[in-house]
Amino acid sequence: MPVPDLLERFTTDPDLPLRQHAYQSPLRDERLAAWLGAALGVLFTTCFVTGLFSHLHQHPLSWLPVPARPAGLYRLTQGLHVACGIASLPVLLAKLWVVWPRFVSFPPGRRIADAVERLGILALVTGGIFMVFSGVANIAQWYPWPFSFTAAHYWTAWITIGAIVAHLAAKAPITGRALRRSRHRPALADADPVLGTSAEGPYDGLDRRGFLLTVAAASGVLTVVTVGQTLPGLRRLALLAPRDAGDRPVNRSARNAGVVEAATSPDYRLRVEGRVATPLTFTLADLRALPAHTAALPIACVEGWSYSARWTGVRLRDLLALAGARPGAAVNVESLEQHSPYQVSFVNHHQAQDPDTLLATHLDGEALSEDHGFPLRLIGPDRPGVNQTKWVTRVTVL
Amino acid sequence: MSTAHPVPRRGRLFWIGTAAGWAVILYGLRGVLHHSLDTRPSQLARFWIGGAVLHDFLLAPAVLGIGVAVARLAPRRRRTALQQALVICGPLALFAYPEIRGYAHILRNPTSLPHNYTVNLLIVIGAVITAVAVKAFIRRRGGNIRATSARTGPARQDIEAPPGKV
Repeated sequence: MPVPDLLERFTTDPDLPLRQHAYQSPLRDERLAAWLGAALGVLFTTCFVTGLFSHLHQHPLSWLPVPARPAGLYRLTQGLHVACGIASLPVLLAKLWVVWPRFVSFPPGRRIADAVERLGILALVTGGIFMVFSGVANIAQWYPWPFSFTAAHYWTAWITIGAIVAHLAAKAPITGRALRRSRHRPALADADPVLGTSAEGPYDGLDRRGFLLTVAAASGVLTVVTVGQTLPGLRRLALLAPRDAGDRPVNRSARNAGVVEAATSPDYRLRVEGRVATPLTFTLADLRALPAHTAALPIACVEGWSYSARWTGVRLRDLLALAGARPGAAVNVESLEQHSPYQVSFVNHHQAQDPDTLLATHLDGEALSEDHGFPLRLIGPDRPGVNQTKWVTRVTVL
Repeated sequence: MSTAHPVPRRGRLFWIGTAAGWAVILYGLRGVLHHSLDTRPSQLARFWIGGAVLHDFLLAPAVLGIGVAVARLAPRRRRTALQQALVICGPLALFAYPEIRGYAHILRNPTSLPHNYTVNLLIVIGAVITAVAVKAFIRRRGGNIRATSARTGPARQDIEAPPGKV
């Protein structure tokens, strides 16, 4: 086929409906695109809001301290973040498929407003694909990039959510018309004869409702086979979950963190220093001789897995009192792990004073294993797993 | 071929929303540039563009091709079930790809990727295909498909029209 004919056949007119030229599926439909867009908007917005909450935990703001309660809040929000991200994969692909004729429009637009809108769509598509890809890769601990996942994911999230706002405004009239349900709405066959004959009549293939339900089923199946990494009731169905929460997983092993020698050394000490009346130093035996407290707390990883366990150790607030720290002080907790962005974690005054914030030595009645943070780890309510610092060696009162 | 389609006017909402959206986009771009040690902007841009290119030149054409193949080759009465199975299993396979490849094993974390994901993916796909087949069987027994076939006559191009017929 000559090139001009090919171009004519496989490109589209931006001012005509989705279903045109080579793209004749009745599923190329405004109403379907609007429903998929709405679903994607809800999923991405949920991811954005819960992602901001996670970011706030990891990059605390002095004027907006994160509360220590409810204890399982981070588990809920981050589980939701990852579950919505996973569920958005089929919806994003379906949306891109339905609106594909728009991507091959020629000319791309006939007005300045068209060019502005398409630039926003470019940001939306590249951002959306990157967010889903990087999120899925991250939970499988696949890092084929040289940049920081958290920084890239976070800043691209802003770009994507901004593009969603612009896209919503651009498509508001079309989406509103497509989603509006009116008792007097004409049958599709009357409103759009070409589309209506095949989309509403019986034919051999998925109709619009069937396609939507199938995409919803795809999201549902993906959710069911993964969400058991945080929902204990669905654990047995979590065949594609990157972690088995029943095995009490860890994000980073002691060997990989390079701390095995320091953590098992008889020279190990915990130091409590900073703005205290009496700087203190403890051996592991000293710590175990202190009054112990047991708390049932979840550990919730940014990667979406979580589990509840019984942690036993000394209360952080008791240690601070022993050292003579002022009431309501915040602290930094430091790990033996070197050269890690999570070597130091911040514990605000709410969390430091919480009776369940512990420097734990035991997990479910057993001494901590090296991978779980032996000899000492921080565990507190409503904190991301990466901030439940393992292999703790220093507490600095701020 | 296509019906007349009124070009929507770009009203105040469009420009206000565009301005607000681009303000947020620019905030994100500023963040990428401002934290360049972490974000490595040129590398990140490669991934942004690379993702779109992979979608537009690999994934999308592959899906379009599969759609045409289903429309041309699949028996009419099995077409819906086949489409359902493909729409559900495709994302499952994409999701499981990094798990099957086992990239996380390089991190020497024994709790990461604890399953045999190839087997598990096959189990899930098998369950999906079984569910779709059972659903199609029940519908067919209900007589829906037989009645439908009797009314419609020749098969329609329900995915993409084959070349030369548009």
